[in-house]
Amino acid sequence: MRTYDVAIVGGGPAGLAAAGQVLEAGLSLCVIDEQQRPGGQILRQPPETFAVPGWLPGASYRNARALLDRVAADERMVWFGGQSVLAIQPAADNDGWDLVLAGTAGPGSGPVKARRVLVAGGCYDMPVAFAGWTTPGVMSAGGLQTLVKAQQFLPGERVVLFGTHPLMIVLAQQVIAAGGDLAAVCFAQPFSRMAQLALGKIPAALASPGPLVAAAQGMAALRKAGVAVHFGASVERCDAGPEGRGVQVHFAGKAGPLHFSADVAAMCYGFLPQSDLLRQCGAEVRWSMPAGGWEAVHNGLYRSSLAGLYVAGETTGVTGSDAAMSEGAMAGLAITADAGKLDQRTLDARIAPYRRRRQRLEGFIDLLRTVADPRGRLPEASGDTLLCRCEDIPAQAVDEAIIEATAMGRAFGASEIKLRCRAGMGLCQGRSCEHALIRRIAASRKVSEASVAGFKARFPVRPVTISQLIDNGEQ
Amino acid sequence: MSRIERGVTRPEPITIVIDGETVPAFSGETVAVAILARDQLRFRDDRSGRARGMFCNMGTCGECTVWVGAEQGAWERLRACLVPVRPGLEVCRCPPEDER
Repeated sequence: MRTYDVAIVGGGPAGLAAAGQVLEAGLSLCVIDEQQRPGGQILRQPPETFAVPGWLPGASYRNARALLDRVAADERMVWFGGQSVLAIQPAADNDGWDLVLAGTAGPGSGPVKARRVLVAGGCYDMPVAFAGWTTPGVMSAGGLQTLVKAQQFLPGERVVLFGTHPLMIVLAQQVIAAGGDLAAVCFAQPFSRMAQLALGKIPAALASPGPLVAAAQGMAALRKAGVAVHFGASVERCDAGPEGRGVQVHFAGKAGPLHFSADVAAMCYGFLPQSDLLRQCGAEVRWSMPAGGWEAVHNGLYRSSLAGLYVAGETTGVTGSDAAMSEGAMAGLAITADAGKLDQRTLDARIAPYRRRRQRLEGFIDLLRTVADPRGRLPEASGDTLLCRCEDIPAQAVDEAIIEATAMGRAFGASEIKLRCRAGMGLCQGRSCEHALIRRIAASRKVSEASVAGFKARFPVRPVTISQLIDNGEQ
Repeated sequence: MSRIERGVTRPEPITIVIDGETVPAFSGETVAVAILARDQLRFRDDRSGRARGMFCNMGTCGECTVWVGAEQGAWERLRACLVPVRPGLEVCRCPPEDER
């Protein structure tokens, strides 16, 4: 088995920042990612075969791009692109970790062993169920954005964006720059409420003014482009367009209903940490606020609850790529120190500037979390709305399972509901529906989401063919 | 559904086969984009026969899973958003009936 001092799962801002520190210390390193090229979702690169000279303009991408250029060019980094990590398990000799890999596009590159592992898995768009959300053309904002950024592809000419997260402002500009036509941007929350929440947070957010300036410029650009931005417009239903082409999206607006015809409707209610790998190997997680999902717990130096396993970036709570870069650098330094390459004093001194940088972002992170908070703004699933897209399980079946489980008279979590109705048993292993189940269980049991046990995450955490598993076993 | 042309230089086109039909694609594109570029939002049908499209484009949701031609005439179920096209690649959106 190939053995490294350090393996990093996830080649986004956190993973790359950590990689930079680990390489500088002279440790051997591999970075594993499901994408072919490094960058993560924020910097999803176009294929090497494309030339895109004007790729991702704008100050907000500048720091991350500089990091990507520097670390991706470092030949000491062994890059495993197009590889899923199916599991992390204690090494047979109890010295580090074994990582089980599978190829995303064909044969995998075989298992990897590392003394220390950093999981920097990033996050994903929260999938939100409402009537008609499985209609082709309804997708996540991140899905649309990465098609544009990386594949240089617009999946429809006319686009509707809806949700609660201000990322819609950035995405709207990117769709327009790509030649798309925005039918509308619909924020579920009223403008007055957003402004009121934001005002109190702005002074602290000004410690790092870049993102605020970008948001203001974005709104101005949309106004100039004549894009209709609605507030207090929450999505109610989506239907397939005439002859199955495109979508028709229906909103309840403050001033009455709104209807739009479009090719694509993209939802943007916030992001959930990618943490299934950590849950699979038993690292401690907690319910993430405010959007939900499970974030990895660390000791302040990005050491997880398991020795030799580290966490950084959105996996530990969704705070954006600038914060992820600082966290990744700190995790990389902690790994370097634990590997005996830095003494405590040097570690403290080298961590300090990253900690200060991370601290300066706290005001903006708090502002964004408050303004984007999806709680109380999520659309309602109707009884026949599929909560579990993989196994086609409607909300009604989930609710019946919750009633049955409640009748047993014991506390119960998401796994009990899964066993009763199959929600969460499909290809995505609950990444799409688990948060929705937990919200429904919490509401029914009148407890907090954080106190409801999630699914037991099991091997393999990503879909893999049996033939690849057999090949893995033979290696 | 369209490829962004302005400011983008792609390599010479190749062809792949989707549901038996030969279609153009560009090296580096994903199978998901090659399907979308045929003006197809539908990637599969669910158990009650309703059409489904791709959702996350980052390998997380599995909604874009299709059958991709593998070695020795076999088919492999893979997430279309993670598979780069290669010349002559065969793709089926529905379960293939035979070995290739």
